[in-house]
Amino acid sequence: MSDESKPASGDSSGLLNGLLTGGAQKPQRVNEAARSLHPNAVKDLLSLGVCERCILRLITVTTFDSDLATVSSSTLRGWLGSGFEEAASPEPSICIVCLGVLQFVFYDAKQTLVKMKSDCGSDHAAWITDLVKQQGHEFDSFGLEVSLPSTISENERAVFIYLFFFFFGLNVDVCTIGVGYTLKESIATKLGCRVKKVSVKDALKVLVLDPLRASLVRAKSDSSSFHIRLTYSKASDDAQGVSETTHERKKRKTDEENGSSCISENPFEKVYEPCILSVHCNQMPIFFSGRYFKYSRNVSQSRWIIDDERMGEASVEEIIGGSILPACLGDSYKFHAAGREDIDVRMLGSGRPFLIEVQNSRKCPSQQSLTEIEEKINNSEKKLVGVKDLKFIGSECWAMMREGEAEKQKQYAALVWISRPLEEKDCNSISSMIELKILQNTPIRVLHRRSPLERERTIHWMKVEKIKGNAHYFLLHLCTQAGTYIKEFVHGDLGRTTPSMGSILGCRAEIIQLDVTDVKMGDS
Amino acid sequence: MAENPETDDTIETTKQNQSEEEVEHSDEQKQEDELRSLLLSDIGDLPLSPPSATQVNFVSYFITDFTKPGHDQYIYRHANGLCVIGLAPTHIAFKDEGGITNIDFNVGKSDRSVLKVSGKRKKNAMRSESNTALCKVSTAKDSYIVRCCVKGSLLEVNERLIKQPQLLNSSADREGYIAIIMPTRPADWTKNKESLITLEEYKAKKEVSL
Repeated sequence: MSDESKPASGDSSGLLNGLLTGGAQKPQRVNEAARSLHPNAVKDLLSLGVCERCILRLITVTTFDSDLATVSSSTLRGWLGSGFEEAASPEPSICIVCLGVLQFVFYDAKQTLVKMKSDCGSDHAAWITDLVKQQGHEFDSFGLEVSLPSTISENERAVFIYLFFFFFGLNVDVCTIGVGYTLKESIATKLGCRVKKVSVKDALKVLVLDPLRASLVRAKSDSSSFHIRLTYSKASDDAQGVSETTHERKKRKTDEENGSSCISENPFEKVYEPCILSVHCNQMPIFFSGRYFKYSRNVSQSRWIIDDERMGEASVEEIIGGSILPACLGDSYKFHAAGREDIDVRMLGSGRPFLIEVQNSRKCPSQQSLTEIEEKINNSEKKLVGVKDLKFIGSECWAMMREGEAEKQKQYAALVWISRPLEEKDCNSISSMIELKILQNTPIRVLHRRSPLERERTIHWMKVEKIKGNAHYFLLHLCTQAGTYIKEFVHGDLGRTTPSMGSILGCRAEIIQLDVTDVKMGDS
Repeated sequence: MAENPETDDTIETTKQNQSEEEVEHSDEQKQEDELRSLLLSDIGDLPLSPPSATQVNFVSYFITDFTKPGHDQYIYRHANGLCVIGLAPTHIAFKDEGGITNIDFNVGKSDRSVLKVSGKRKKNAMRSESNTALCKVSTAKDSYIVRCCVKGSLLEVNERLIKQPQLLNSSADREGYIAIIMPTRPADWTKNKESLITLEEYKAKKEVSL
């Protein structure tokens, strides 16, 4: 059913051919859009090389949404009148404003030209879907991001300026239009319509989002940890279309202020090349938590390389992260631990809490596979590292790490040598020291990278365990405040830590080896 | 025989709880035992006198007759580049009767003991050359100037010596150290090193057993 009503502007124009069927609302809105068009302006823009979607997007009353998206180019030309249809070139050129983005013309990653049917967004969505599936992610919702060349907004502005001078003449003074009127508003009053601008990004999303959702996901959801990014970039560096250089832009701004007008001299260059479109998928990082044990005195906590040489045999970070990363099919991982220990200190007891952060994982391993990974690490030939309670954890992971940080207490067992034989009274005097306050100057071994400060720390309790048959050695069990340097507490660090084991016992003391036996967190 | 099923049940459950607790307790015990065996298994042969922390972590260098005869000093260099400076055992100050009685850091242009170095970048540290005066030690007989021997930034001086100068007599190589200097550039240290001798060379030269 074709509706033959004349446009409100009164100019002679064609019929509303090819009216689409659909809900009652649809034709009405499309009617409104058609009526609001100013045929001469539209013809001018078409001959300049602006595509139909951009015209509909920029200068119609109704917002460019899915209804208007389905208006094809032939329909639009039909609205304008019979004389104009012949002028349409068989091969539509690339739009000077959107550079082909809304016409679904672009270069793919291999620089091959791709042209989609532009009636609706489904073909384009199908092309994107293929690329997304190739990247192998598992997801049940996604967010769509679009990145466009900055010249597109410059092109739009240039078109508005062109329209401005089209309607108001070449020599008009900007100031006569009215104080406070923006460019768009001025044109709007002339056109008799509300010029509500819909950006190219939003228009593209309108065209493509629903078909994408239909083909990719079952659930409909917007906010997501998985993003699909469409990046359009310029094919070459030459200025194309109506974009200006910065110099020209500054000149134009000052000219406008001065009231002169010279922009219309600028010809609108043809666009020969569309943009390159690349599709990239990214998943937000996922986290795994657990506790690790370090059984070797030659394994550092994180990767430690000096002058291309690795220090130590391996690292806890690489052993654990390197096992989890392949299971997630991720790009990379980061290791975070609640505190650290030296390379020659073992981590025993209940283990130290840690987090593994995996970037851009393609799939999330099941608890079953996590348990298998845990067993594999624990049963490996060289028992260097152990893992416990490995599991997937959500955004509460950071709270877990911070938990009880200030109140964290650590328990150690140190093998101590003293220069005189141990006596019973020594054991008693040591065990009786509860909440001993010590002052530690920054140890010399870290003084090169830490501030020289005097830090007060507390030794909560100590216990001596004698070693059979040897009066010069004993095992010292102690529980201290977080941040205490144990080695310096034993040997005194040239007197910079007081009191020290040596000063308490009145002799020389050395630490032979150290083990961490407990890291107390908020939970058990 | 009327057995009250309820009490029977409760007796059963408490027994269960008890045995659960026992199992838990023995689990904990097991863990502790495992831990203990781990702790002790690592203790191999215990040498009678193990090397000291200084010997393990530092490389010892010496300089003898620095600017004046008998002025022997040590430079213990840590793996991270920091140098601990002090008096070597053959320094002539120790030969005076009564040993060292006093130390004064107020030499040269400023009092070295009042400098306050702050922050990771070690702001306000005094720049020293190898012959910059560090302090003056006095005995009953005479007083001797101690110099930096290392070009770099002076990070700290041992303030405890001011109140306890006898530390120099009793343990000059440990608690009686004098200062800590950070060489500013690796090139500076390489150049410095040329004028220093190793522990072996020092022993040979002075025919002392340390």
